[in-house]
Amino acid sequence: MKRISFKTNFILTVIFVIGSGFMLLWASNSLGDYWARIITLMAIYGIMATSYTLVNGVTGIFSLGHAGFIAVGAYTAALLTLPIQQKAMSFFITPLIWPLNSIQMGFLPATIIAGCVAAFAAFLVGYPSLRVTGDYFAIATLAFAEIIRIVIQNSYSVTNGSLGLKGIPPYTTIWWAWGWLLVTLIVLGSFKFSSYGRALRAMSEDTVAARAMGIDVFKHQLMSFVVSGFFAGIGGALYAHWLTTIDPRPTSLGIMLTFFVLIMIVVGGLGSLSGAVLGAVFFAFSAQWLRIVESPMNFFGLTIPGIPGMSMLIFAVVFILIMLFWRRGIMGRDELSWQYIYNHFSKRVGDQD
Amino acid sequence: MKKTLIMLSVVMLLVSAVFGAGTIKIGVAFPMTGGIAAFGQMTLNGVKVAQSLYPTVLGKKIVLIVADNRSDKTEAANVVSRLIDYNHVKAIIGEIASSHSLAGGSIAERSHVPMLSPASTNPLVTQGKHYVFRACFIDPFQGHVAAVFAYNNLKARTAVVFTDVVQDYSVGLANFFVKDFVAMGGKVYKEFYQSGDQDFSAQLTDALNKHPDVIYVPGYYPEIALMARQARQLGYTGPFLAGDGAEAPELVKIGGAAVNGVYYTSHFNADAPFTEIGKEFVAKYKEMFKESPSALAALGFDSYLLLRNAIKRAGSDEPEKIAAALRHTKHFEGATGYITIDKYGNTIKSAVVNVVKNGKFTYVTTINP
Repeated sequence: MKRISFKTNFILTVIFVIGSGFMLLWASNSLGDYWARIITLMAIYGIMATSYTLVNGVTGIFSLGHAGFIAVGAYTAALLTLPIQQKAMSFFITPLIWPLNSIQMGFLPATIIAGCVAAFAAFLVGYPSLRVTGDYFAIATLAFAEIIRIVIQNSYSVTNGSLGLKGIPPYTTIWWAWGWLLVTLIVLGSFKFSSYGRALRAMSEDTVAARAMGIDVFKHQLMSFVVSGFFAGIGGALYAHWLTTIDPRPTSLGIMLTFFVLIMIVVGGLGSLSGAVLGAVFFAFSAQWLRIVESPMNFFGLTIPGIPGMSMLIFAVVFILIMLFWRRGIMGRDELSWQYIYNHFSKRVGDQD
Repeated sequence: MKKTLIMLSVVMLLVSAVFGAGTIKIGVAFPMTGGIAAFGQMTLNGVKVAQSLYPTVLGKKIVLIVADNRSDKTEAANVVSRLIDYNHVKAIIGEIASSHSLAGGSIAERSHVPMLSPASTNPLVTQGKHYVFRACFIDPFQGHVAAVFAYNNLKARTAVVFTDVVQDYSVGLANFFVKDFVAMGGKVYKEFYQSGDQDFSAQLTDALNKHPDVIYVPGYYPEIALMARQARQLGYTGPFLAGDGAEAPELVKIGGAAVNGVYYTSHFNADAPFTEIGKEFVAKYKEMFKESPSALAALGFDSYLLLRNAIKRAGSDEPEKIAAALRHTKHFEGATGYITIDKYGNTIKSAVVNVVKNGKFTYVTTINP
């Protein structure tokens, strides 16, 4: 089996990124507003999924708190970019506290600050929670995510409580979303294949053995958790400026969102960054595409009325089939690299001979 | 796989062939599945009754395209985008929950397609928007009506307000009630609870120590029913007052005899429709669905008629002109009363106060703006 050299790899990747850029340019110009929105959503889900798989897949600790960090990022960014006049209108029960009521900044700094605040939240949650492992850790993070949501729900003077925020400027375009996804992939990819990343993978295989090798398990887990929190915050910021309104309901920024992202990474393959992106793209695309089965159909004069909910049924069946036939998700733990494609391709040719 | 793809594209072609010329497409973005699917279903029934009574406008057939937002906020935005960009609808009846209307409304606003919400009462929904309208009254008005009714009709001077802190609807309504009730000279004490709470004895004991003339609970029916039961056990005999969230048959099922004497502000009462068209609606609804229409069904009915009326007055099915005509709706006769839409896209119309009497929702009075 031939190894693809670094140079070929690099050139192919650059060509791929530029090619994808042109694809997106084409999509944003000719596919219409609706699909442009969905393609943007794919990248936002992609960021949420890759950052989640860093904790759940690569590090191998099962967290259920991802939506909490997404919510922190979404609220931070939204509060920073909301026009001052809009803030005065929305906070009609309790006015917004100083200094948030007089700040308005650009999208990029707001997104980065959102990431940092979410990372800090991840540190606060991770520091005590990482003392426990396994199911206990899952429960602890789930509880912390709920606490974050309930704090948001009750802090009327900061987050407008259950009334939520509205009128957030629609800054998130295809370019912002996919650009941030590219940044996320570069950073998380380098992280995964650095010595830290190898330590994380060693821990996910066997914590005791990794500790015996001299790896500081707690420190590495906390680091992965904080990095994941940062990109969850970025994802949340993009999401808020995509949807233009956020609220702390369990169905919008609560446990349901965590489960959606969990579905994406499990379908894509736990521990694979490219798998997480594939899972996210698949999730966002099929949720919309399957709407076809819900609209009334006409088979040669025979009209079948649309059944609402039919698409979710098919969605569930597709996921069960994927889990039956690809038990480790689409990508398993592999990355969709040029080497991976080359290996698959040469294997297939070999089989035919 | 290829075969299925070809099949599907054939199906899609056929579907698009059905909607040809001579029709006006109106999108319906409702929650048909998920947590609040019941609301979507009820409202859609009302829309369907309106369509069967008035199927055409400007000599063209009105085609409804129903899109399910799955009771999800992300999807609420996506379906509006889909209806406008993929189905090319001229106007949208849509989004029931206020939080969904906020998400969908910003898309409609950007695409300059009018969106008429049947039941989103949160004032933020239409605020600052030119293409978002509603068929229902807003929370400040409902809170105002409750305050006026409590002060004038119930002769209450001391009220205890129970706020469901997790529902924006409840927080808004409580806030406006308190403002108006205090301005009229009443005295208000506040208590708090959350959706899903089962036991209210602590708050109720505290509340009853204040000897209230009325307890105002602008929440949803499960908690109101439980609260009424527990309050009666603690010896409270006075009236309860609630918002339109109380209106569900389950209120009586859970509350039993305890909910007798629960007053609530609402949009409509099927037993006392105050317009001719309202009577027509109730009769047709009973014929089609073999039951009495809910307030949501009446609002769905009115949404369809408001849009149809706007298209008729605009003399065109261009979204811009429909929106302009909608903004100039004056004294329109709907099932829920006479409707005027102001320049902010809000509806000015009268509210109904009902009471639970022997397990039945009985009409009490109408309060005009």
